Amino acid sequence: MAKEPQHKTLTSSQLSIWTGQQMHPKSPMYNMAHTFTLPISINVKVFTAAFNAVLNNADVLRTVFLEKNHIPYQITTQNWNYPIAVVDVSDKNTAEIEAWISNRTQRIFNLKECLFDTVLLKYNPTNYSWFLNIHHLITDASSSPILYKNTLSHYFNLLKKPAAEVKSLPLYEDYIAFESNFKTLDEAQPAIAFWKNKAIELQGIPKLYGATNISQKTASKRVKIKLNATKYEQLKAIAQNPLIRSFSPNLTMFTIFATLLHTFIYRVSGQKKIALGAPTANRLTPTFKNTPGLFIELFPVAVLLTDDDTFLSVLNRVKTESINYLRNGLPGLSNAKLGNSYNVILNYITANFEPLNNFTTNAQWIHSGHCDPNHHIRCHIYDFNASGKLELYFDINTHVFTAEQVANIPNHFLKLFNAFINDVNTPIAKPSILSPTEINALTINPIKVDTAISVIEQFHTQVNNNPTTIALRYKHETYTYAQVNEKAANYAVVLNEKGLDFNAVIGVHLIRSPEYIFSVLAILKLGATFIPLASDQPKDRIAHIVKNANCMAVISSEALAKDKIEVSKTILVETLNLADKATSFSTPATFNNTQAYIMYTSGSTGKPKGVSISNTALSNYINWAKKAYKHQEKYIFPLVTSISFDLTITATFLPLITGGEIVIYPEDTSGPDISIVQVIEDNLVNSIKLTPSHLALLTNNTVNQSNLKLMIVGGENFKTSLANTAQKTFGNHVKIINEYGPTEATVGCIVSTFNADLHKLNAIPIGKPIANMQAYVLDSYLNLVPKGVIGELYLSGKSLASEYISQPALTATYFVKNPFKQGDKMYKTGDLARWNTTGELEYLGRTDEQIKLNGFRIELAEIENNISSYPKIKKAAVVVNSKEPIKNIVNCAECGLPSSYPNVDFNEYNVCHLCTSFKGYKEKTAKYFKTETQLQELLTSHKKRDLKYDCLALLSGGKDSTYVLARLVNMGLKVLAFTLDNGYISNQAKENITKITQKLNVDHIYGQTPHMNKIFVDSLHRHKNVCNGCFKTIYTLSTQVALAHGIPFIVTGLSRGQFFETRLTEELFWDETADTTSIDATILEARKLYHQEEDAVKKHLDTSMFNDPNTFNKVQYVDFYRYSDVSLHEILNYLKQNVNWVRPTDTGRSTNCLINQAGIHVHKQERGYSNYSFPYSWDVRLGHKNRDEALEEINEHIDIEEVGKILNEIGYTKIDTKQQQLVGYFTATDIISSADLRRYLQKKLPEYMIPAGFKQLPQLPLTPNGKTDKNALLSNSINFDVATAFVPPSNEIEELVANIWKEVLQLNIIGIHDNFTALGGHSLAAIRVTARINDELQTSFTLGKVFELPTVYKYALYLEQQLTNMLGE
Amino acid sequence: MEAVLLNYITQLTHEQLDTPLTVDDDLLGSGILDSIGMMKLVSFIETELSMVIPPEDILIENFMTVKHIITYLKTT
Repeated sequence: MAKEPQHKTLTSSQLSIWTGQQMHPKSPMYNMAHTFTLPISINVKVFTAAFNAVLNNADVLRTVFLEKNHIPYQITTQNWNYPIAVVDVSDKNTAEIEAWISNRTQRIFNLKECLFDTVLLKYNPTNYSWFLNIHHLITDASSSPILYKNTLSHYFNLLKKPAAEVKSLPLYEDYIAFESNFKTLDEAQPAIAFWKNKAIELQGIPKLYGATNISQKTASKRVKIKLNATKYEQLKAIAQNPLIRSFSPNLTMFTIFATLLHTFIYRVSGQKKIALGAPTANRLTPTFKNTPGLFIELFPVAVLLTDDDTFLSVLNRVKTESINYLRNGLPGLSNAKLGNSYNVILNYITANFEPLNNFTTNAQWIHSGHCDPNHHIRCHIYDFNASGKLELYFDINTHVFTAEQVANIPNHFLKLFNAFINDVNTPIAKPSILSPTEINALTINPIKVDTAISVIEQFHTQVNNNPTTIALRYKHETYTYAQVNEKAANYAVVLNEKGLDFNAVIGVHLIRSPEYIFSVLAILKLGATFIPLASDQPKDRIAHIVKNANCMAVISSEALAKDKIEVSKTILVETLNLADKATSFSTPATFNNTQAYIMYTSGSTGKPKGVSISNTALSNYINWAKKAYKHQEKYIFPLVTSISFDLTITATFLPLITGGEIVIYPEDTSGPDISIVQVIEDNLVNSIKLTPSHLALLTNNTVNQSNLKLMIVGGENFKTSLANTAQKTFGNHVKIINEYGPTEATVGCIVSTFNADLHKLNAIPIGKPIANMQAYVLDSYLNLVPKGVIGELYLSGKSLASEYISQPALTATYFVKNPFKQGDKMYKTGDLARWNTTGELEYLGRTDEQIKLNGFRIELAEIENNISSYPKIKKAAVVVNSKEPIKNIVNCAECGLPSSYPNVDFNEYNVCHLCTSFKGYKEKTAKYFKTETQLQELLTSHKKRDLKYDCLALLSGGKDSTYVLARLVNMGLKVLAFTLDNGYISNQAKENITKITQKLNVDHIYGQTPHMNKIFVDSLHRHKNVCNGCFKTIYTLSTQVALAHGIPFIVTGLSRGQFFETRLTEELFWDETADTTSIDATILEARKLYHQEEDAVKKHLDTSMFNDPNTFNKVQYVDFYRYSDVSLHEILNYLKQNVNWVRPTDTGRSTNCLINQAGIHVHKQERGYSNYSFPYSWDVRLGHKNRDEALEEINEHIDIEEVGKILNEIGYTKIDTKQQQLVGYFTATDIISSADLRRYLQKKLPEYMIPAGFKQLPQLPLTPNGKTDKNALLSNSINFDVATAFVPPSNEIEELVANIWKEVLQLNIIGIHDNFTALGGHSLAAIRVTARINDELQTSFTLGKVFELPTVYKYALYLEQQLTNMLGE
Repeated sequence: MEAVLLNYITQLTHEQLDTPLTVDDDLLGSGILDSIGMMKLVSFIETELSMVIPPEDILIENFMTVKHIITYLKTT
């Protein structure tokens, strides 16, 4: 009987291929097929015999793959007899034969059966071709020559001598054994260490042309890259260059192509750290060199590239890295982590099919039409036939890349190849890689619009055509077109009398009002230039603008101008409003290219810069907008945004040139401008121009029957989620436009119409250029980058500003020669962008530190320079503190705690630091927990007093508290059950409570308070959840009840996880000799502090009893689950059998409280994780839940609509609507008062540029390059008490206390005057801080001291006194 | 060292050389050593001489012949 074949494990490469095939069982991606030409007549019978002899000699060919419990293994079976068929193709043409071969190559192998397929193709009696297709699991490129040579030489031997013995082949199973043992060898250790380090420095896979393989499909197209003969000779010559060559010719070619591929990836992805995957041979011994089978293994070859690199500098790095790869790419050492660093493969094959019997076969490798989906491009370079000429192929995944990209990729590569051949010292970023067709497509915009008619002329046309139509509406006033024109003409006449004409530059410093419109129109009638200066512009800034723009006059009002503007230049608007002046003014004829307005924007030097906009540029935008945004009705816009902001130009002019209407909303100069909310309430407009921040304010409320038809959103990045909400809020008939455009290109020059079906990414694309405008995405050499690749956005065309006023150097830097259109300029935006596959541009951030905050464009350097100009300040840095939700959350592999939990650390196995450290003290916590018997003893210790109730049990109606109640009753105790009716207990939960208390026959009362909603709101603001407020209310009310009835114990149903959330910390268990009495004492102390916090509960409920220390003797708090280690499963079983408890279904969730999900929602929004994540992670750590149960409950669905209703009902509105705020850091030679600094800046900067907080630091953190490390500042800024000046610790005790605070509060810097509570300290943190200090100094200070002496300075002083006293004693 | 190297390289080639190896034989261009052989040789020298050869030094100029290797080892 045949022996049961041995089960062999898979090698590392086999396992990766086997897994890949399991994921794509229908893909022939691992089929390696060859055809070998045989220009001889073939004796098929002998050939079959020769092949079968080899087959029965090569164990790997007879190997099949099976699995047991989803784990694969391989076995080799014996005595195969494989008949080789002959396919006669003599009547077929070449194309038909190729189609046949291609089709046959795509046969799917069953891994459990035969893993190869072979036939002979007969072209004519003396011309054959041998087709051999083998699954990659049992072969590689080096196997083919071995199998070919052995089969053919045995065939010729058999022809000569029919009984010839086949040459024996070494066995693949020896390699399997070798590989599995290799890792344990000494010689493998340096390589193992090398890859471990490498894995850390590798980056994720680059996005080539911005593409990813989401579909994970495998189809790929093989494209031959043609290298012409001359280039090829040049390549060979370069390979001889001592600067280029490696130690062997093959390695030289490998490094050259690796350099070119690295450069190619760099150019089409923008990624800097780039890895290629390349196979190492792994045939380490001469025997293995003759063994057929899968030996090769992929390893990364990774280098860092920059724009400063030349081909040669990259090549030198690749050379070194290739040696590292060769030395360390050893059997079985690759892993998935390394594999996740590349998506381009470089496969350099040197298979050699030697001549046999006077002919050399022509070997062809047939592409199966599919590749591993993680390999977006596979580049093969090979010379099978010793022709000395390399062949170059790209297999390109056709799901990752569009047909256009597939066609362009080889050309882009070739452009780099040619540049390399021409001069190896060429900078890698320099050569253009696009074809003329691609360049044309990216530079020509066919859309045109007429710019000949100016804005003021079009206004005049409307005055003539519609004199009685209403043009302006302001509070209760209205003005017709004729009236507006009269006023404007009137103003113009007066201005003209003051000597102002078409040469004049005139500031307008007014609140939004009809007078502002009259002034602007008057200035345009003069043919002069206006500068809008919003009411919040500070004195110094206006002074700078007036001087910089050579402003001849500023129109202002008495109220605004006072003490702000030079009197000689001020023209009070009141003096313009003179009825007896002429009511018409004739505008000079042609002034199209003259300056219409100057708009000042933030400048990095510390002063704003003036952008000069011509009448042509203004017309180009407005005339385009008139056509593009047209809707059924005439435009009615509100004038509601700051006039100093160029997006306001749309609402200022678009209605007036089309016969529409402006509804003016003045700003409230004394507080934040929230007129925008009024606009929606009034519902007078059908069109609106606003920023995303404004829009976010509007979508908080429900909107009924809005008249809005058009919403133009601009000024900052527009998130898709906001657009979707807006569309829902205002209805599908509203057209939502995303308008992009820096002030330098007039209001808006790239525009996208929101389409929910098309726009699925995080932000809406900015769109396509408007008429007469071109948008170029360029690299640092001003090359156009291919579609999909990120570059800097440049703008050109008629909307472009002409200059920055009086700043020729700055103008020359930003307005540069347009290389695509002679004579034109283009503006360097500093914005990063790319073209997406639907032909729209996407905005992807900034190249510098310009930011957009609530729509305002701010150069952080402008603020920094102004802070630095304050006396004694040395250096300043300003950061934007954002609350962006954390992406790519992972959960701890053991407890499920999410990575978004603050300061959580994961080790290499994805286990959180809490789990790791708990393992160190878990045993010590055991003493805290007790038994049910001990509980019974405790609760009956008062029995002799013959009380009505032994204890009060807190009953929420949920499973945990119901179980507690049932068990207490079961112990024979007299129990009063207490439930807080917070107004949101579900009906079924209440039914449960009634049912349970009846069945258990216990008295039950509901606690209530009319202030519950206020407590919820306070809790939401304070803790970002509702539970904290609820818990405290329960403790307060139940304590009152217990005191009233003389009940000595309150029994809670808190879970063990909740103990660790709220009261147990590692420090409590440090002192191994301490018994639970001392732990209990500490916890009780913390409880007393807890009830002293000034929150809504203390404000609205009677908490006076907590001031009496005796209260805590009269009533003790007992946690049931401290005494019971029952599992969730046991609880549910017990409840089912004994109390008929049913899970409420009317909350839609696993809770019995309807408001619970509102709390979770707010917590998730504000903190980025569920408030249950932490206690549940403890439940898991303690074994009361498993990880899946915890995650399931944490990730329960939240009904956002329902949450919105509840939050509305309790009166919760987010106080902080600002998602982002500015924080200023500085160093100084003296202590600086934040208030003084703020007052100073208020004179220099508009309010929106003044940081929300300041912090003085001993020094600013630096990056390794010596620049200010803003990321370090960001991570530190959240909990800063920014009003307190930083003073570092000055002695050892302060140092000690500060260090302990830093550790516990997880902060990097703490000043000695920072307040403990303001830094985020609470009672749990107080426990930890106190325990650590006591441990360090061997003292026994009480918890309350931290709150009594809440700064490092005060606490340290106290400590010092105490220590001195102790020493004195 | 010379003899040690000649001996080790001869071993690596598994006696497939037609004539005995000399210090002037081109190890790389002639195919006496492939890249795996070269890496083995580098490891061998490192172990023999308790030294580390940085990847930047693994060049044709330093490893073309046994003579080159000896010169290289003398300069480091």
